[in-house]
Amino acid sequence: MNRKKKRSFAGSRTEALVYGILSLVILLAVWHLVSLGGRIGKFFPSPFLVIRDFANAFVHAIGRNTMLEHIFFSLRRVLVGFGLGVVVGIPLGLVMACSKAGRAFFMPLFSIVRPIPGLAWIPLAILWFGLGEQSKYFLICMTALVGITMQTFFGALYADPVLIGAARMLGAGKFQLFVHIILPSAIPNIFAGLQGSFAGAWCAVIAAEMIRSDEGTGWIIFNGMNYANTAQVIVGMVAIGLVGLIASTLLKALERRLCAWNIQGK
Amino acid sequence: MEHSGKVAPIIECRNVSKTFKNKGNSLEVLQNLSLSVRENEFVVLLGPGQCGKTTLMNIIAGLEPATSGEVFFQGERVAKPNPKLGMVYQTTALFPWLSVMKNVDFGPRMRHMPRKERREKAQHFIDLVGLTGFEKAYPIKLSGGMRQRVGIARAYCNDPAVLLMDEPFGHLDAQTRYSMQDAIERIWSREKRTVVFITNNIEEAIFLADRIVLLTNCPTNVKKEILVDLPRPRDYVSRGFLKIREDISKIFEITK
Ligand SMILES: Nc1ncnc2c1ncn2[C@@H]1O[C@H](COP(=O)(O)OP(=O)(O)OP(=O)(O)O)[C@@H](O)[C@H]1O
Ligand SMILES: [Mg+2]
Repeated sequence: MNRKKKRSFAGSRTEALVYGILSLVILLAVWHLVSLGGRIGKFFPSPFLVIRDFANAFVHAIGRNTMLEHIFFSLRRVLVGFGLGVVVGIPLGLVMACSKAGRAFFMPLFSIVRPIPGLAWIPLAILWFGLGEQSKYFLICMTALVGITMQTFFGALYADPVLIGAARMLGAGKFQLFVHIILPSAIPNIFAGLQGSFAGAWCAVIAAEMIRSDEGTGWIIFNGMNYANTAQVIVGMVAIGLVGLIASTLLKALERRLCAWNIQGK
Repeated sequence: MEHSGKVAPIIECRNVSKTFKNKGNSLEVLQNLSLSVRENEFVVLLGPGQCGKTTLMNIIAGLEPATSGEVFFQGERVAKPNPKLGMVYQTTALFPWLSVMKNVDFGPRMRHMPRKERREKAQHFIDLVGLTGFEKAYPIKLSGGMRQRVGIARAYCNDPAVLLMDEPFGHLDAQTRYSMQDAIERIWSREKRTVVFITNNIEEAIFLADRIVLLTNCPTNVKKEILVDLPRPRDYVSRGFLKIREDISKIFEITK
């Protein structure tokens, strides 16, 4: 569906590529021109400076770490926090969907937590877990948890009753129904939850690193701001954007693999 | 009942009634419906749309309880789904995340039949419905007619004593529908089973049935039963065929 939309907008693939390159060139040109202007230019480094600094950062450390190390620190925080969110959220969603008692018990709790944005947990995270890694994991986990749980819950809850009936007619028992029908029914939703939550978790890690840390992509931005080093701020932003893009591309590829049955066409 | 002969019927509905209740509204769908089906008989239930055919099928299958009355299968009361009854659905009820092969061998897999054995069995039925070569395809890639073939193979592969078919060709175009009727007739003559087949199409009923059970409008009951004693495979324009067609048309018009 996505692909179709893109096509009808830009005509063909090569056409889309040409437009893409064109818009990038214009952006860089305008950016460069603005950076030449005196007063604004001071806080507006030329794009070529940013690109140079970005490349440099892989070899020469910003603070104590090189770019790859910073990315690694941020990614590790996200993976631990997000992983916790997955490990708790998917079973929680399944329990709420499949067991009446489970729903009756968890739903009220969950309804209270659900509307609270993840970042609102910052003060409690600090008070409970201090300024170290644990509070970051907690914050990221809380951000990711809600989306994953909700999507899993709805995916499993709205498994098609006709398919459930068909499986029962073919002799599937309760546990087999869960494994062979309910779980696969929920998988497309679970993936939607994972993708949305990953974006949220990646936001949360930046916020967590801005509060207090000595490394990470969020730290690069914040440190750059403290020293009025605009180029460093933008380098950090570019790194965040690139990592986010790569991660979501990987998740999409995994989804295409696992949900081939759900994708129309070739 | 005059047709039940000496042998006990394999399926028997006794005074089955069903009323749906929704917040004060109640809808009586089935009213005191009695029906019996003999072993290896091909019975077609012919009734107008929305008269409760699917509901009756679900009750026979044990997927839904009757409000009153009882259904017996092989002499025992039906209370829950029984894998001895195979269901073919009106809309495709294939598992979209499974390939054709895994849809067809689903039943044996649930019974933990060894892989090799159940694959061979599934292949037999895939070949029988004419889907050789599509074993690995997902349902989303198949046409409506092919999906129904998979549904039929899946039901057969579970070795049911009775096949319940709920308007399996209702959503197909006329051309595909004829070829599916041929296929069903051919499969049935090779793999004898008891079949209860629902349709609202008179020709389809005469082409397939040993016996046609005409149903009334809601609340549904049995209006009349007609034995179809024509040689198979049947000819849509033979005199016997057209005669029965005329009889049925008359019966339906009289009450209008
Ligand atoms: N679970 C339910 N709750 C309330 N009403 C229902 C339910 N299931 C079916 N009905 C109603 O019962 C009536 C008969 O439905 P059913 O699906 O059995 O008819 P049908 O003869 O199979 O129809 P069709 O020709 O469309 O296949 C319909 O009016 C339907 O709206
Ligand atoms: Mg129906």
